[in-house]
Amino acid sequence: MTSFQSQLGEGGGSGATAEELAEGQRSISIAEFFEKNKQMLGFDSDAKALVTAVKEAVDNALDATEEASILPDVYVEIEDRGDYYRLVVEDNGPGITREQVPKVFGKLLYGSRFHVREQNRGQQGIGISAAVLYAQLTSGKPAKVTSKTETGGDARYFELTIDTDTNEPEIDVDESASWERPHGTRIELEMEANMRARRQLHDYIQYTAVVNPHARIEFHEPADSFKFERATDELPPETEEIRPHPHGVELGTLLKMLDATDSYSISGFLQGEFTRVGAKTAEGVCDSFRDRHFGREVAWRPPEAHEEADPEAAVREAVANKSSEATAAFAAAVAEAVAAEERLAHSEVVAVVDSTAADVAEEFDETFGETVREKAAAAAWSAVTDERAADCYELVDGATTTRKDDAAVEGLATRLAETFGSQDDGRNRVTREELRAFVDRAADAAEEYDDATFGDTARENVTDAFWERARTVPDEVPSVSAVADDRDAAARLLEAMRATDILSPPTGCLAPISEELVEAGLRKEYDADFYAAATRDAEVHGGDPFVVEAGIAYGGDIDDDGDVELLRFANRVPLVYQRGACATVDVVKEINWRNYGLDQPGGTGIPNDPAVLLIHVASTNVPFTSESKDAVANIPEIESEIELALREAARELKSYLNKRRSLEKRRRKQNVIADILPEMAEKLAEVTGREPLDVDDSLARIMNNVLVERTVDGSTVELSVHNYDDTGVSGEITEIVTADPGDHEEATVVEMDGEWFLKWAPEVAAGETATLRYEVDGDAEFDVSVEGIEAERLTIDA
Amino acid sequence: MSTDRDTDADLNEEEAREQLIDLAAQFYDQFADGDVPRMEIPTRTKSNIVFDEEENVWVYGDRHSTRSANSVNGARKLLKATYTIEFLAKQLEAGRSSTLRELYYLSESWDEERAQFNDQDESNQLVEDLEIVAEVTREDFHMRPEESGATVMGPLYLREQTRRGEREIHCQKDVGEGGYQIPNNPDTIEFLEDDADFVLCVETGGMRDRLVENGFDEEYNVIVVHLKGQPARATRRLTKRLHDELGLPVVVFTDGDPWSYRIYGSVAYGSIKSAHLSEYLATPEAEFVGIRPQDIVDYDLPTDPLADSDVNALESELDDPRFQDDFWTEQIELQLDIGKKAEQQALASRGLDFVTDTYLPERLEEMDVL
Repeated sequence: MTSFQSQLGEGGGSGATAEELAEGQRSISIAEFFEKNKQMLGFDSDAKALVTAVKEAVDNALDATEEASILPDVYVEIEDRGDYYRLVVEDNGPGITREQVPKVFGKLLYGSRFHVREQNRGQQGIGISAAVLYAQLTSGKPAKVTSKTETGGDARYFELTIDTDTNEPEIDVDESASWERPHGTRIELEMEANMRARRQLHDYIQYTAVVNPHARIEFHEPADSFKFERATDELPPETEEIRPHPHGVELGTLLKMLDATDSYSISGFLQGEFTRVGAKTAEGVCDSFRDRHFGREVAWRPPEAHEEADPEAAVREAVANKSSEATAAFAAAVAEAVAAEERLAHSEVVAVVDSTAADVAEEFDETFGETVREKAAAAAWSAVTDERAADCYELVDGATTTRKDDAAVEGLATRLAETFGSQDDGRNRVTREELRAFVDRAADAAEEYDDATFGDTARENVTDAFWERARTVPDEVPSVSAVADDRDAAARLLEAMRATDILSPPTGCLAPISEELVEAGLRKEYDADFYAAATRDAEVHGGDPFVVEAGIAYGGDIDDDGDVELLRFANRVPLVYQRGACATVDVVKEINWRNYGLDQPGGTGIPNDPAVLLIHVASTNVPFTSESKDAVANIPEIESEIELALREAARELKSYLNKRRSLEKRRRKQNVIADILPEMAEKLAEVTGREPLDVDDSLARIMNNVLVERTVDGSTVELSVHNYDDTGVSGEITEIVTADPGDHEEATVVEMDGEWFLKWAPEVAAGETATLRYEVDGDAEFDVSVEGIEAERLTIDA
Repeated sequence: MSTDRDTDADLNEEEAREQLIDLAAQFYDQFADGDVPRMEIPTRTKSNIVFDEEENVWVYGDRHSTRSANSVNGARKLLKATYTIEFLAKQLEAGRSSTLRELYYLSESWDEERAQFNDQDESNQLVEDLEIVAEVTREDFHMRPEESGATVMGPLYLREQTRRGEREIHCQKDVGEGGYQIPNNPDTIEFLEDDADFVLCVETGGMRDRLVENGFDEEYNVIVVHLKGQPARATRRLTKRLHDELGLPVVVFTDGDPWSYRIYGSVAYGSIKSAHLSEYLATPEAEFVGIRPQDIVDYDLPTDPLADSDVNALESELDDPRFQDDFWTEQIELQLDIGKKAEQQALASRGLDFVTDTYLPERLEEMDVL
């Protein structure tokens, strides 16, 4: 795939391409351009500039390491140096060479990733170079880059500035340096900044850690420091690059691609440069392009015998200087061929004349030259079009409702026939727009003079009827170079591409985080009671495949004050600004979280719980609301997937919460009852004057619990497992005895430091009791423990 | 259970105490067996009362509800029951008595907070539960209601066993205009002599005073029992004894509204809340004098329109098994039809003596009491 000038407006909806921007800014300095477009580039305030710079540098670092299949180890440091802030970002990537330094850090809008149909972080901003430029413009200091490659040897130290007149990076210093990392890259920038966006900065770093569980990130700022350890050694899968999909390109990109391709024909270009385009699809696009570029030719019904026009006579008359036999045979053959067709367009008449001429020429050994053929074709065409008014009537009548007044239909048809008859292009070749203009003109006239009305729908129907009847012309599609030079033609080509049904793009180019790792990421950063994650199957929007993932963490140490925390990601990059404009937030607000057991006052809006919601949209082209790429645009297909992903994860949360609530209720009930019953038993013993009572059995029965009881009778020890619940239970029961119980058939016996561990795994059906029996000699102490049965449901009386 | 057996009104203190302790022992045994402690009580609603053909009174049917320790509420109820049993047993042992309200306040002093009552309804209900389950009447627990009993005026000579010794009283000659006050446990009364032809139970104080002022009791040899609204158990018990022991016919004179019909119902058939004691409290032979809806029409009495709650109460009485006879069906339907109700005092619209000179003699003659 060839490389193109990058494009800023990709997916953003503005349609302004970098090329267009660059054209506009050639006359002004790069600094001025930057100044004017700051907010678009994410540098609109000193506070945000720092976040953007960190974001660009960290994204760069993660991409560099992952591309080299290295587990990322990223170090970020922000230092307040009085006048300026110093930002240092280090990675353990493969390092870069001197040649790469200006390309990576210096060239504004450099980078192959803007147009690559592959999910990656770089889409998110315009690159680290903008940060370099911002630093240079605000502090006047060069960017300091240290890099060490895996080939060994010393690290290199560079100082880099961007020439603001030429937009060219320059390396001012290049020297050997020592650096403790075995390989990697370090960039140091000094810039005007402040820490007012501390929260966003922290969020960005923390969320990056959540969504990149394979990365180790260390972060220092003047007031705080964090370390995020990695939770997995698994690198995200490498993404396949795919060629662009015909439905997903913009005009600017298309023009660039046309410029750069090696193909000569449009068909070859389409098949070579786009995904999902084969010969057949390419032909479909070309036909659609022909219709738009050349227009179609309206086909008319040839005259029938009883009608006045006679193609045979017309052709005979038109042919001069040929033998009468040949002329007669030719005219008859043309007339026959014309009559055989139900309808003919001009190009078809020409084809009939040409092929007949060749046949007759062979038979009579006379040549029918170009002039003769043209005249014959013109004569035949004139005969074919003679009864155009009748054809028009039939079409208009068919396309309008039966209630239309016949005179009105007649009036419109006659006017249309006249329009075609007097058309400059005698071949009756029209584009759809021209056709509609014909219909409009005729209909307007009919309305004015015939007192008829033709509404928009009727006009559109009539236009459709004629367009259906018209034939795609056989003309050669313009070559790639011709289209490349003709913006309008390129626009028509793009239209044709979009109008053609084409298979959805393949989805191998996406790398979702995966359910396991979304959960692992949340688990790593949030100490919650419950985690759930869902990854949807890939879907397509426009020409771009996308995958939505959602994660939920609930309870535990998560803050319980106010709304749930919402983590938004696009291609693994946290979005920390413009929350209110983001489709993800809209979707969260619209879901009725009460259905899932969360607290949502009013049944709408952000729920009010100790929970974290994570949403990740991965795509080859995430649609953002603006160039600063802080919020996902409201695209219905994507919103629907976000909702489904959230609901999928929320369903798990719901069953967890239900279970938790029922256990909580049980625990509360148990606490109350377990408190009351002993009091009651004590009082009963007092009133009746009998022995004190043990209430555990009754309690276990009340709680539908599993009761484990031990009775010792001489050397025989019995553990009874009563299941008072209405479902069966299976648990693992371990008895620790201080005397040797000998071998046992049902239990496994292990001796450790003078204690014997007997282990059973009984299954006890509802309402049943299992008895576990063993023998010990002499005095012994016992201790029983039960696993696999919730503590709330277990009563041990042993 | 008490509903199946004649409650022994003369249970002595020791026996009552033993019955209570037996109940505690039942709970004890349930614990000892690893069972869930519980007590079963007949459902006390109008859908669960049945007519006892033998005794001619309404008693509880077969439907039971269970207070069981397997719910938090049930466990609390049983804990309270246990504490109440202890209290009652000690009270009987010491030969003391207390009021229902005193029990409620007394629970505040129990060290176990969860055994304390939340309101008096709860303690009243629990005492009723214990009456049923322990088969001992409240009076035998030495529990009495707050309100003193109603009064009697008429040609009746009796002996009352008071805490301060025996008293012999004539209910016309030895009492003031207020009449003789019925003690909480009327079984301490012995009837010595009477010169009465029948017993007239009157709902309102105003009407009772009118009858006494007009000398109705003397003129017609009638024992006038003041019901004071919904009659206390003691009043009902005494009425029953006057009927059973002295063979006097009993008639009931109330306002003409649905709530008053219920007063008659509880005198004649037993109340829903104390259906377990119907055999002991109800006087099935008691007849209704009025005010009947028919009287409202016949005497053209001043009336109030029926409120929605009155209509609901009347409709509910149409479903009440105690009112399923021709008389009540006809009267209630008539009242719903005319949409009016009248008080006993409405008779004064015909003059102060109308009730004693005309209305009652006419009605009582109709009923063959005179």
